Amino acid sequence: MHCASDRDRPTLIWLQGVTCNGNTHSFLNLPYLPQLLAKYDLLYHPLLPASSTLSEVVQCKRPCDVLVFEGAYDPLMKRHEVLLSELLDYYGMRAGHIIGVGSCASFGGMFKASAPQRNSGLIFDESESSGPLLALKNKVINLSGCPVHPEWLGYTLSMIADNKEIKVDTLHRPLELYSHLVHHGCTRNEYFEWKVDAKAFGLKEGCLFYLQGCRAPMTHASCNRILWNDVSSKTRSGTPCFGCTEPDFPRNDLFHTKTNMSIPEDVPLGVPKRSYLTITGIAKAFHIERLEGKLIDDKTAD
Amino acid sequence: MTKQLIDQIEGEASIRFDMKENMVDFATIAFPHFRGMEAILEGKPALDALVVTPRVCGICGHAHLMASVRAMESAYADANEPVQLTAKADTIREVTLVLEMIQNHFKWIYLVIMPELAKLRPEKIALTPLKGAYAASLASKALASFAGQWPHSSYMLPGGVSCDPTHLERIKAQSLVDELISFFEKECAGTALDDFLAFDSCHDFNALESDIGEIERALTAAGMHKKGFAYDRFMVLGEHRFTNPAKVMQTRLLQADEKHVKTHSAYSPSEKTFAKNACYKDEFYECGPLSRAMASNVELIKSMHRRFKDSAYSRVMARIFETARLLDHARDMLGSLALNEDSLIPPKPITGISGCGVGVVEAPRGPLIHRVEIEEGIIKSYEIVTPTQWNIGSSVKENPTPAQLAMMGNVTMEEALFIFRTFDVCSVCTTH
Amino acid sequence: MARISKEERKNGIISAALKLFSEKGFYVTTIPDIAEKVGMSVGNFYNYFTSKDILAKELVMYISEYLGEKIREINDKPISTKEKTAAIVSMYFAMANERPEMIEYFLRIYLSNREVFGEGCAGMVCVSPFVTEMMMFFNDGVSCGDLRDQDFFSAFGLFMGYLGGMVFLFGEKILPEPLSSYEASISENIYNALRVR
Repeated sequence: MHCASDRDRPTLIWLQGVTCNGNTHSFLNLPYLPQLLAKYDLLYHPLLPASSTLSEVVQCKRPCDVLVFEGAYDPLMKRHEVLLSELLDYYGMRAGHIIGVGSCASFGGMFKASAPQRNSGLIFDESESSGPLLALKNKVINLSGCPVHPEWLGYTLSMIADNKEIKVDTLHRPLELYSHLVHHGCTRNEYFEWKVDAKAFGLKEGCLFYLQGCRAPMTHASCNRILWNDVSSKTRSGTPCFGCTEPDFPRNDLFHTKTNMSIPEDVPLGVPKRSYLTITGIAKAFHIERLEGKLIDDKTAD
Repeated sequence: MTKQLIDQIEGEASIRFDMKENMVDFATIAFPHFRGMEAILEGKPALDALVVTPRVCGICGHAHLMASVRAMESAYADANEPVQLTAKADTIREVTLVLEMIQNHFKWIYLVIMPELAKLRPEKIALTPLKGAYAASLASKALASFAGQWPHSSYMLPGGVSCDPTHLERIKAQSLVDELISFFEKECAGTALDDFLAFDSCHDFNALESDIGEIERALTAAGMHKKGFAYDRFMVLGEHRFTNPAKVMQTRLLQADEKHVKTHSAYSPSEKTFAKNACYKDEFYECGPLSRAMASNVELIKSMHRRFKDSAYSRVMARIFETARLLDHARDMLGSLALNEDSLIPPKPITGISGCGVGVVEAPRGPLIHRVEIEEGIIKSYEIVTPTQWNIGSSVKENPTPAQLAMMGNVTMEEALFIFRTFDVCSVCTTH
Repeated sequence: MARISKEERKNGIISAALKLFSEKGFYVTTIPDIAEKVGMSVGNFYNYFTSKDILAKELVMYISEYLGEKIREINDKPISTKEKTAAIVSMYFAMANERPEMIEYFLRIYLSNREVFGEGCAGMVCVSPFVTEMMMFFNDGVSCGDLRDQDFFSAFGLFMGYLGGMVFLFGEKILPEPLSSYEASISENIYNALRVR
């Protein structure tokens, strides 16, 4: 255990940079929240009752085993009149683990755009190594996503509390959470295989990759493996994946697939474009009747 | 002058109090953080606003999504390409909006109001914050059955919704709402929802051996029925099935039109603030659940208002009562949701649309307005007016905002800090 | 004399069949005609191709792979889209001169006898290597900013329809000059029609 003292439970401080509070609220949806919180001594959280006040925390006098940081880092920003950089320096040095929750803390995310020249994540500015905690990068775990999935944070905090090692990818994201693509487990997979595109929004049928901008085949996240709110996902509800766990989120023109003469500019991760086009041309030649009609025709059921 | 830093309010704020004989004489409010959402949107393809604007706020992002899609549909109409919406799409949007309000209210009751009330009446209130989180998570789950996820769904598009649910999803959502209603009856109200909704007087709360009963008694014991008065005029602007757009002067209902809403820079002489004040014809109005109950003639709240006017008590109890009304409303809408219509009627591609649009919805805290100007599908300008700008602006002493007025006069600083939170402050929305 | 391999025999059949089909037409040409031309027995022929329809499809694949490979070489070169356009036109016309039967077969047999190619050769299946390379050409052209983004088939039809039409005129001996003398102007026309404006 990386505890700074011999206390039973590790202490946890949750600080915020430039944020919308989305990760804070997402975390509250964790089904085993009470059990997880019982494993920690929560010193500060933006919503949950905690044992310290923000004023006490910003005076840099609390112990901190796990530092959770939400939001983009802005070097000019203050919390309760203390510069974020001071807070991150102090608690970053002392914490055994630092968790960047959400894409803003991981890469700059949505609120990099608030001050593009200044704002960044903790150890990445988009995909470049840069940020206030670069010197401490070995302690940093990024949980990208806009917002973070509650189970991803639940996993990370449980692993830390249980003193288990977390293996990470080159962007410091846990492999167990970010090795999958959003495409894995998508209920529209068969339409992708046979290259049947969704004719419009609002349909169960069809793949959203060809026209509607879906980034699921090139986005690392387990959204279709560990469902959102236990029940669904963007693609299951007919919304394209916007690639919110990747360093380039938010991209431009999110509901539209960028094509060059009808050919997708980006193809599934790791697949050479030539191979993708060959397969596509062949798959499209077969007209699979079952995939071209409605799955259920509600209107004829009256 | 005493400065108080406020956190755990969806962001941060600071209040500077001018005290006179230990009572608040005047207070100014500042919101220190700014993100520039409107500027981020300029130059983007219009539909991107459906992804960007929910990120204004972690707790009411869905209201932003709906305001944004309504603004776009209004721009289509402005371009003579009116968008059609099926009853199915309209109902699904309304259900998910209501579910977001419900999760907001539960969190506010258990994570804000009870702990803050406990500071005034420590011997009376047992804190159970995780009850609020649990109830909110049930509402979010029901919401996600249609919207895919919460927070930060983008499942509404011009012409409808992106989901194409079957009765499986509807039944799932309904079972979650039923579970939440049981939770509310057993853990919050201590009585059946229908009985609770039949309350027509504040006395009916007296018999409740429950969290809500405790809150009501603690409010009275703290004298909150005699404090925290604002202007006694209310504003509701969003068109919904659970409320009516209206300007309410005491109890008189008058027509209200979004076009009279303007924002002005907030007054904060000794500290930088990024907030703005929202006014209707240059006057301040209170908005939120109390206003909605007054505008839709909810009997209990009107009776409460006759006795306690727009006190802190009325404001708190109106939000609690709205939670119950919305649960009932969500149950009804899900029960009658017909699925044999299109989820979305595709309008002309937005790249061919140039026009101005306005989207107005009732968010958990009151009217949320999005105004957009689109040129060939690209956002030229975007303006967001949020409910907290109505309630918690900061103005001069001679013309205070509702929250300033409610904190002034016969209240201590501790009471003022409680009254401040009865408005359900959202800092992130205010300074989007 | 070195022993002729099975592969070389197969290529021999393909060359002979291409010539016969494009000269005489698909239905008039018989398997005995082809066997005779390569100097093998009809029985032996069936060791290579089990029917005339299967041979016909293999021929399309053969041409498509041949063309695909040539275009891929051009696509992989570090040259501008304008130069690639000229290289493809030049390659295509050279092929029309040197191996006219390949283009003739494509235009006169494949495109005119859809009933033969329906099963197993539908859509892009038999022409995939060639079409894939044209897709790569267009994709790269748009991606590097040289070509205007538009529908693939609008661009593909403009490019290949133009070339096919010229080769047809050439085959009908209507063109007053040799194909090569049109290369520069046709390349320019195609590039101008497709480029970013």
